[in-house]
Amino acid sequence: MAQDRDDDAKDSSLISAGRRGIMQGAGLGAALSLLGGVTGGGGLISSAQAAEAAFPQHKKWKIVFVNHVTTNPFFVPTQYGIQDACAMFGMDYQWTGSATSDAGEMVRAVNSAIAAKADAIAVPIVDPNAFDKPIQAALDAGIPVFAYNADAPRGKSNPRLAYIGQDLYLSGYQMGERIASMIDSGMVALFIATPGQLNIQPRLDGASDAIKKSGKKIDIQTVATGATVNEELSKIKSFYLGHQDLKGMFAVDAGSTQGVAQVMKESNLPSKGVHGGGFDLLPQTIQLIHEGFLDFTIDQQPYVQGFYTVMEAFVFLASGGLVGPANINTGLKFVTKDTVEPYLNTSTRYEGKTTKPQIVPMKGAIKS
Amino acid sequence: MNTVNEPRKATTPAQTASPRGAWASHWAPELRILLVAVLLAAYFQFVNHDFLLSNASLVNLSQYVAPVAIIAFGEIMLMIGGDIDLSAGMVFAFAPFMMVFANDAGAPMWLAVIAGLIAAAIIGFVNGAVTVFLRLPSFVTTLGTLFLINGITLTVSRGTPAATPGSPAFAAVMGAWGYSEIIWTVAIAFVMHVLLRHTRWGLHTQAAGANALGASEAGIHVNRLRLGNFVIAAVLAGFTGILESFRITSIDPQAGGNQIMFLAVAAAVIGGTPLTGGSGTIVGGLLGAAVLGILSDGFTLIGINAFTFNIILGAAILAAMIFNIHVGRIRRKGAR
Amino acid sequence: MAEPLTAPAASADLALRGDNLVKRFGAVTALDGVSLSLGKGEILGILGDNGAGKSTLVKILTGFHQQTSGTLSVHGEETLLKSVDHARALGIECVYQDLALANSLSIYHNMFLNREIVRGGPARLLRLVDHKQMRERAAQCLEDIGVHVPSVDLPVERLSGGQRQAIAVARAVHSNARILLLDEPLAAMGAREAALIIDLVMRLKEKGGLSIIMIMHNYAQTLDIADRIMLMQRGRVTYEQRSANTSVAELMDIVRREYRAMRATTAG
Repeated sequence: MAQDRDDDAKDSSLISAGRRGIMQGAGLGAALSLLGGVTGGGGLISSAQAAEAAFPQHKKWKIVFVNHVTTNPFFVPTQYGIQDACAMFGMDYQWTGSATSDAGEMVRAVNSAIAAKADAIAVPIVDPNAFDKPIQAALDAGIPVFAYNADAPRGKSNPRLAYIGQDLYLSGYQMGERIASMIDSGMVALFIATPGQLNIQPRLDGASDAIKKSGKKIDIQTVATGATVNEELSKIKSFYLGHQDLKGMFAVDAGSTQGVAQVMKESNLPSKGVHGGGFDLLPQTIQLIHEGFLDFTIDQQPYVQGFYTVMEAFVFLASGGLVGPANINTGLKFVTKDTVEPYLNTSTRYEGKTTKPQIVPMKGAIKS
Repeated sequence: MNTVNEPRKATTPAQTASPRGAWASHWAPELRILLVAVLLAAYFQFVNHDFLLSNASLVNLSQYVAPVAIIAFGEIMLMIGGDIDLSAGMVFAFAPFMMVFANDAGAPMWLAVIAGLIAAAIIGFVNGAVTVFLRLPSFVTTLGTLFLINGITLTVSRGTPAATPGSPAFAAVMGAWGYSEIIWTVAIAFVMHVLLRHTRWGLHTQAAGANALGASEAGIHVNRLRLGNFVIAAVLAGFTGILESFRITSIDPQAGGNQIMFLAVAAAVIGGTPLTGGSGTIVGGLLGAAVLGILSDGFTLIGINAFTFNIILGAAILAAMIFNIHVGRIRRKGAR
Repeated sequence: MAEPLTAPAASADLALRGDNLVKRFGAVTALDGVSLSLGKGEILGILGDNGAGKSTLVKILTGFHQQTSGTLSVHGEETLLKSVDHARALGIECVYQDLALANSLSIYHNMFLNREIVRGGPARLLRLVDHKQMRERAAQCLEDIGVHVPSVDLPVERLSGGQRQAIAVARAVHSNARILLLDEPLAAMGAREAALIIDLVMRLKEKGGLSIIMIMHNYAQTLDIADRIMLMQRGRVTYEQRSANTSVAELMDIVRREYRAMRATTAG
């Protein structure tokens, strides 16, 4: 039936967006099967309406997303994911927080959400201590709290219900392994926007550990580049100009990665044997991978960091807290010159490049 | 007011008693901004019923107001004299780290806090000395120290946040308990108000701000006043940073920054302290911070998103300031 | 041609006496041997163009500068004024042209500027100011010298120019002045306002205990108020006379002659 195909396409676009992303957790499986079960229904009801019919009328739940860099382009697809999920689940959202990674501002925003009796709160835990109390206060007030994009460090007892995002340490570790495979010896620069911050520091730690473990004579220099994209580019440029004998430039956040790519192009570094790579899929980054100036980037799929978080909140609220929270690893995929094509040619809402709602048709075999 | 005295006739004595009309006239600027604050609070309460009338909301609102207010008090003392401290937001981040280092070195918490405040005072002294003795405009001096202190903070902290030390009881008093920040704020406001209006230091600061030459002709040590007020401003900024570090249980080198400094100056101006100097009001500064806090908290509560937030906040600040300053001008003209 | 000076009274009766005061600033000679005397309870008017040396003379008499040579006697005793504070301690007060008032502060605050009354009792430690006492005393002082203001709480910026001048004078008087210098008190004032100040000065003289020097540029007003006048030109005193014994026309004549003589020398 027509809507079956539509629904299949939607499901498969969800899955293809996941690609190698591993979806864990019984709760998530339950939610997906709920969706799948609903779409099996016949008639001319659209999938959205059918989804609604499975759930009786409910209040338009409001989820407050607190963010640490509200104006950073990395989170644009996240916001689209949030919007799409909210439209689908009949929810409402607010996007707030700090533009400058100010933990104090973020804590205030969480407290405001509690005072405003939000139905759910989502916050990246970018500071090891500051969010313990506010999250506990929210839970005490009956508001579920999810961490997305950044999680509390291992061994810390933060009370958030679930984490939706990339396994940060692991992604850094894998990047470190790749660096060690590309470079035998010499100086390698690791750029990080704001050191100590929990959504990127673990990547840096993982990369350093992997490089050290490889035993190769690689001298790692860590450079802080700042929270805004403009600053980051300038800092990276200056660093290169001062250390032109380096063998590699790698970054652990979106803005710095784009900066590294631009510097590699401007100074034509690949031809000098310099390697570069980083995280996330800012438009310049992908373009410059395609042109061969950057070796790789790692996708953490910001769209689903928003989408799945809303979905988890919905299930939690719909079931009165019985089911829902489960950690979701939103994925870790290396994108190189060989695999970058589809990203270039598609200008989709899922990558944050356009506001148009769309279904992207699948083409050919699935490369992984 | 152009009464010509007739020579050699007994004239009516000048009034000393202050009738109620004079009281209202004396507090007029503060009453105006209080009205603005009340109207805004009423509006937000009407739009979002959780704005004021629950414990959580009041605590939340007070935490928006407190840090801006305390820093504003220091800025006001400087602005009266025609000076300004742009480095306040950076001293805010710096002082708590000095506190942590002192604590790590073995000092008990209360002493560590004092160490942090002394570090802030030293920065204030440097600001003041360079401004007064090298005769640089304070804008320029504190612009330089802004970057300097930021760099020092990032360096000594290696750019990484630190956990706030101290026992839960100590932390509760120093900002962790919900209402503790606002209680500190009101206490400091009281002290600063008395300082400004009821001590020679405050009166001389106002005089020096209104007429520096005249004040020095009267024998007032204008330079000493300016220097002292720089120290006061830095200590208040450092203390605010320490309170906030207990509130969020984390000491962050990125904290504060220019945002809070601008908010503090805005609070001072909204409250009736002109940027050009000559006069000032501590109570007005507290009310100005309240207006800003009500705006920030209110808009967040009713769900304004991050991008549009600053548009609305900026417009609201402009409107509040225009109202206050314009009405003030009309009053002054009308009185002549 | 300079008229012979009137015979000075005996030193002991003089409030102020200056003998051959010279003041040089580097190569510039601002005062070139100025002698003056101010009798007790007298009003002396000093006239002269810009650059005549009037301000320098005032600064020396108030202790702001020290003379390069020459002597000064205050209340009959030869003294070298070391500072403004020293001059004040001897009862010499000055009201400058800018009035030295703090606009945003009230009348009584201004009158007690740097001389604030501190509260006694336990509050003494905190050095809190006693507003009530200052208000009452300020009001009393203004009443004593016949200055009328609606309230001593008014900020001085709300007063008219004449009233502000009156407050500045009241402040100086209130500080136990025995010798009062007024620098261009009637500058930029309309007739009505000027009358206010003139009346005030007359009342002060009548009250007694005060000797007054006024720096002026309006000959008619000066002859009206002052008992004696002194004409200064280019650092020297060129004429000194009791007001009653001279006239505006005569003074202008002297000035014109001097001016022509100067033009002749520069032209030559």
